[in-house]
Amino acid sequence: MLETAELYFNVDHGYLEGLVRGCKANLLTQQDYINLVQCETLEDLKIHLQTTDYGNFLANETSPLTVSKIDTEMRKKLCREFDYFRNHSLEPLSTFFTYMTCSYMIDNVVLLMNGALQKKSVKEVLAKCHPLGRFTEMEAVNIAETTSDLFNAVLVETPLAPFFQDCMSENTLDELNIELLRNKLYKSYLEAFYKFCKDHGDVTAEIMCPILEFEADRRALIITLNSFGTELSKEDRETLFPTCGKLYPEGLRLLAQAEDFDQMKRVADNYGIYKPLFEAVGSSRGKTLEDVFYEHEVQMNVLAFNRQFHYGVFYAYVKLKEQEMRNIVWIAECISQRHRTKINSYIPIL
Amino acid sequence: MGSLFRSESMCLAQLFLQSGTAYECLSALGEKGLVQFRDLNQNVSSFQRKFVGEVKRCEELERILVYLVQEITRVDIPLPEGEASPPAPPLKQVLEMQEQLQKLEVELREVTKNKEKLRKNLLELIEYTHMLRVTKTFVRRNVEFEPTYEEFPALENDSLLDYSCMQRLGAKLGFVSGLIQQGKVEAFEKMLWRACKGYTIVTYAELDESLEDPETGEVIKWYVFLISFWGEQIGHKVKKICDCYHCHIYPYPNTAEERREIQEGLNTRIQDLYTVLHKTEDYLRQVLCKAAESVCSRVLQVKKMKAIYHMLNMCSFDVTNKCLIAEVWCPEADLPGLRRALEEGSSGATIPSFMNTIPTKEAPPTLIRTNRFTEGFQNIVDAYGVGSYREVNPALFTIITFPFLFAVMFGDFGHGFVMFLFALLLVLNENHPRLKQSQEILRMFFNGRYILLLMGLFSVYTGLIYNDCFSKSVNLFGSGWNISAMYSSSHSPEKQGKMVLWNDSIVRHSKTLQLDPSIPGVFRGPYPFGIDPIWNLATNRLTFLNSFKMKMSVILGIIHMTFGVILGIFNHLHFRKKFNIYLVSVPEILFMLCIFGYLIFMIIYKWLAYSAETSREAPSILIEFINMFLFPASETHGLYPGQAHVQRLLLALTVLAVPVLFLGKPLFLLWLHNGRSCFGVSRGGYTLVRKDSEEEVSLLGSQDIEEGNNRMEDGCREVTCEEFNFGEILMTQAIHSIEYCLGCISNTASYLRLWALSLAHAQLSDVLWAMLMRVGLRVDTTYGVLLLLPVMAFFVVLTIFILLIMEGLSAFLHAIRLHWVEFQNKFYVGAGTKFVPFSFSLLSSKFSNDDIA
Repeated sequence: MLETAELYFNVDHGYLEGLVRGCKANLLTQQDYINLVQCETLEDLKIHLQTTDYGNFLANETSPLTVSKIDTEMRKKLCREFDYFRNHSLEPLSTFFTYMTCSYMIDNVVLLMNGALQKKSVKEVLAKCHPLGRFTEMEAVNIAETTSDLFNAVLVETPLAPFFQDCMSENTLDELNIELLRNKLYKSYLEAFYKFCKDHGDVTAEIMCPILEFEADRRALIITLNSFGTELSKEDRETLFPTCGKLYPEGLRLLAQAEDFDQMKRVADNYGIYKPLFEAVGSSRGKTLEDVFYEHEVQMNVLAFNRQFHYGVFYAYVKLKEQEMRNIVWIAECISQRHRTKINSYIPIL
Repeated sequence: MGSLFRSESMCLAQLFLQSGTAYECLSALGEKGLVQFRDLNQNVSSFQRKFVGEVKRCEELERILVYLVQEITRVDIPLPEGEASPPAPPLKQVLEMQEQLQKLEVELREVTKNKEKLRKNLLELIEYTHMLRVTKTFVRRNVEFEPTYEEFPALENDSLLDYSCMQRLGAKLGFVSGLIQQGKVEAFEKMLWRACKGYTIVTYAELDESLEDPETGEVIKWYVFLISFWGEQIGHKVKKICDCYHCHIYPYPNTAEERREIQEGLNTRIQDLYTVLHKTEDYLRQVLCKAAESVCSRVLQVKKMKAIYHMLNMCSFDVTNKCLIAEVWCPEADLPGLRRALEEGSSGATIPSFMNTIPTKEAPPTLIRTNRFTEGFQNIVDAYGVGSYREVNPALFTIITFPFLFAVMFGDFGHGFVMFLFALLLVLNENHPRLKQSQEILRMFFNGRYILLLMGLFSVYTGLIYNDCFSKSVNLFGSGWNISAMYSSSHSPEKQGKMVLWNDSIVRHSKTLQLDPSIPGVFRGPYPFGIDPIWNLATNRLTFLNSFKMKMSVILGIIHMTFGVILGIFNHLHFRKKFNIYLVSVPEILFMLCIFGYLIFMIIYKWLAYSAETSREAPSILIEFINMFLFPASETHGLYPGQAHVQRLLLALTVLAVPVLFLGKPLFLLWLHNGRSCFGVSRGGYTLVRKDSEEEVSLLGSQDIEEGNNRMEDGCREVTCEEFNFGEILMTQAIHSIEYCLGCISNTASYLRLWALSLAHAQLSDVLWAMLMRVGLRVDTTYGVLLLLPVMAFFVVLTIFILLIMEGLSAFLHAIRLHWVEFQNKFYVGAGTKFVPFSFSLLSSKFSNDDIA
């Protein structure tokens, strides 16, 4: 593709880009958060949210209001927006949107399989699935007993199918295997998405690649962190790392050898981006590594809006909105559980 | 019309509402719509205000009402038009109302839930019967054509094979049957194939009637399917897949008798369900009918109640918490009405609510009362900017000048008359309900119907002046020109010497002939009204009309602008800035009149002073006007004796006016500032002392305390007096002056659009006539009639769309521009805010738009 997105981008995607920028402008501001934090009850929260872009989204809920009701309604709203974008998109933006939904689909599949393992009813688990990752074959996931079963019977026609190449096995799906499956799927998904953005070139590649590189590295780091003290072998661990990040290849090899947090930190210290992040952990306000990563992600996503004529804005918008929803849910939880000391540790979107 | 000339005088009033009767008072105020509330709790966030609970309750009621309206419209019960506007419910009734509504909601929800359950049940039964009917044919077909039954060779050729035979043979053949949505069939089949590795046989057939989807309520096509399989394991899988695709699965009867029994049982159950469902629906209808009677007025009442609480949220509490203090803007003329409303509201209470006016320096909102006639014109002005408080309102003059300037550009009395008729139609039917709820474009016309009416009337007038009717002239009074006088035979030979006269050979051989007005008898005096129709035949018609229209536009423009400057004087008088008159308005008028006023004078003088005989030695106005500034060395003989002296005097006045305009006001203000400070030495000293001495400070403090809260509130409210800044004043005045001086020239040129557009309009209608009607009229009479009809229709359509709508729109826009830019910038500031009263009438109209319609 030519490196001149300015010339033709608006023909196909100008409307949607305008729309998404408008939506982004409606994200909650710092002032809104300050007001939200002051709320005494969830009803107050609802009244305040009415003055923002959320509008009357809770108007038809019968009281009493619960956090999960708020969460579902917010998700529904995001889903409506996303569906609107998706329905109005043209190639290759629609493929981009499909890639965006894939991560939610992976999560949903894994969730359903875990549910089946614990003999929960499908309906119950379905309610917890993210609406962005819904697909028709989803509910049949529990008929599969092995990964290849899963692939052959259920997922072969979904966008997830190409990601299965690396993880076909005849192992029965127990908890560990599902977790491995999730990570392998995610790894191939991220690599495919990365390749898609890279091939697309232009501003989209310039914006999306760093975001996806960060995403990949974050996964690698989190996997490492979570695998301490489990039976996961170091070789297996390495196979789970997505290879499209900045850590690849040297950092990933070192990470695979890491045995505790300090060793991990030493690996990260070799990289300019991750060093300050690891330094921030624990130093102030007792932030966890996850919080730090979220903050960095928010920052990258906000910066994505500084360039024009690229698809990254859509990705960034959905991620920012998700973060906003996490914040609202956090605040709502703090309010409903009367646990106000930690209410301020939401992650502000600047 | 005094109220249209300036906005109403406003005053800030404090209402002391006893907390017991505050609600009733506001209800009374809302009905009358007299006052605009100021938010006294701006820095309190919305959920921390006093009456949040009540607002929440209103929202709850609204939610119930929305649900009710939704249910009522779903069963097509007409919503009765409630009484015009029920008053806000008294507080005592609110609880009762809430209880009633809640009870109604619970009941309704239960009934609808039951109904839904019954419907779902019924639907399932219907689906079941359909399935039984369709699958009856399946098994036989399976057996006949599918080779999968090879395992049972004995049965292979038995054409009478029934499922019962198979059962007897002990094969673990299982059946799953049910219904699936049309769109999912393909994916379903594929999934079955993949998951069960081909060990299933799926047969399906489309159902010939569409059924409702119980979840979404949509009516869609369904497929009936029958899956036959062997073995328990696969059976589980099949069932799971069926679940996943939201199939409706029904048990498959094993024998023919069983099938018949089930079918019979189903039929009776369906009958029963129908009767029960009918009964439920009847009951539901009754409940809804009863609810529908009051729902409209309830909705209004709740809206009003909510509005009242919103207003109460803007009030602050006094120290004792016993009364609410509201601050309102109220037109002075309405103060008695306000007092009465307060009395009405607090009639039952022991302590009446009362009000007092408080002085303020803040600019009050602008209220200009309009009626349906002036509303449109006021809207034109407001679109530019809402007038500052008590400033001269240009809308009053716009009523005449706007249609007039429009008509100058649109002058054609045929077109004008059509426009007038259209507007008249709208005006006469203005109470028609369909017009009021019409779509956007028609609504636009409807809102501007009085403007259109006047525009049409004025176009008729200017059309008569231009003597244009669909581009043709009308000879009403007989032309003032006489052609026969041009013939040599009509003059005595001794007079013929100097004159160029016509004879037969000239008339026969020359293509164009010129009438000479200087020959006696040819020009018998002007046409009594408008342009002589003979010009329509003349080849030099355009030259003549252009000269006329150009001069006319300049004259109209300068009069319009001068009028604007004069209106500025009224503003200065009203705001007591007399110095502005002498230092700004008078130099402005001088500047305008000495240059352009003189131009008008020259134009009119030339019209009057020169006749047909002397026209050849008449000087050109353009050259004369240029010479006024250039002082040419060679004296030309001008329009009148002493012209050079007059012109020099005027020029001198103009030149003198400029520095006055630039420096007059700033210098005067500076002098005033300095002079005042000289004058009040002692006072200045006093303030100085006050700043320095501590005693004074403490004194000041105690004074403040004595004056109490009120003073402090006033303190925050008072606009801080601006610092005197000479540079800034000088700059603004310089900018204003430059803009004015240059504007005089460019704006005058801008008025030439009057000429340009009227020329364009005349030419366009001329072209239309020449291209269409003339063609139609030229064809000979036998076929001409047939042709003329479509030509006429085409002509009408083009006239309406191009000449009336398109041209009308462009002339409208240019007229707006002339008013906004050329006229209003001479005097109109337009920096006010609109007075938005707290009125229920604004609420109810909104309701009827969103919710019911």
